[in-house]
Amino acid sequence: MCVFCDKYGDGTLWYLNPRNFGRQLYRRTMPGEKYVPDAISYRQDREKLFAAFTKALQEKDTKMVEEYKEKINELYKANEPCQVLPLKDAYKVAELSHPITSMSCVCRKNFRARDERTEHEYSCTGLGVGMLKWERWPERYRGGVHFMDPDGAKEWLKKWDTLGMVHMIMVYGTSTTGGPFVGGICNCDYPDCGPIRHRVDYGLTWNLLKAHYVAAVDYDKCNGCGICAQRCQFGAIKMEITIDKSNIDMFKCFGCGVCETGCPREAISLADRSSFPALREEW
Amino acid sequence: MAITRIGINYEKCTTPFDCKKCLQVCPQAVFRVVPVKQVKFQETDAKEPGAWRLLVAYGDKCTICDRCLKVCPVNALTITQQ
Repeated sequence: MCVFCDKYGDGTLWYLNPRNFGRQLYRRTMPGEKYVPDAISYRQDREKLFAAFTKALQEKDTKMVEEYKEKINELYKANEPCQVLPLKDAYKVAELSHPITSMSCVCRKNFRARDERTEHEYSCTGLGVGMLKWERWPERYRGGVHFMDPDGAKEWLKKWDTLGMVHMIMVYGTSTTGGPFVGGICNCDYPDCGPIRHRVDYGLTWNLLKAHYVAAVDYDKCNGCGICAQRCQFGAIKMEITIDKSNIDMFKCFGCGVCETGCPREAISLADRSSFPALREEW
Repeated sequence: MAITRIGINYEKCTTPFDCKKCLQVCPQAVFRVVPVKQVKFQETDAKEPGAWRLLVAYGDKCTICDRCLKVCPVNALTITQQ
């Protein structure tokens, strides 16, 4: 149970709590009121902070980097916590949420100029009523969306998992109950994914939390093929030459389960993070 | 400590989202492209000059491998080290 589960989970994992999937469809603007949604005003703050942060990084100004890191972490903690989740949990989210769609990925668009226009190119998963807006204005929202049923969504998630992409739960603003609004399951890899890059390269912890699981190798089953080490996006796995098996650093492990689903001998399994006392506070 | 600076000449680099050569060739994914012109209920046109802007997002990760300089069709990029 992470800090978001304590706050918004009601006894379960926060992204499996149905309360966090609800969002209001309409908001009435009072006469004379200029309404700016929370999500937008927050994003302007974020852009400013990031501009200052990258400038400090560029100038190698260590003191300012630390200062802005702290500010950005605070902002993410309050607004848009993202968390890695394994395929089995992504399936559960696909069953909970409606509508569920495939859509274009904004990180790949920003960092690699990937222009995804049709359902054959889309690489992100959108959840919830916000998707109806994307369907309504395809000329505004990059070609619109492609709607999927829960089984289709599972196949879709499985497809990206097979390729070796990490799933993460994305939050867009607040839900009707005041908690985070669960708005997407991304399929990400380093370095094209913003949150992974921020966490791994720059230590922006609250931009992307580790999953509620950690991977462990069964040395009796592992034959040292090295596929898991190739698939790990976080640099947690290496081939240990001395024993000719793969070795997982559980402090570095994000618990995405990509190594588990890729292992041809089922030698890797995901265990609950809370079952390791030393890892309980490692998020 | 040496500081690496990537300079972009915006008079030459006008349609980065359409060209996207430097963005895709960079091994460190240093660049970022953002729309600067926004029209309500319309997506920013990739081919319109000046509507998109190429930025250096993670300049501290640049290794000066010069691949972006070689691939740029309009020679808009410069890399200096101080």
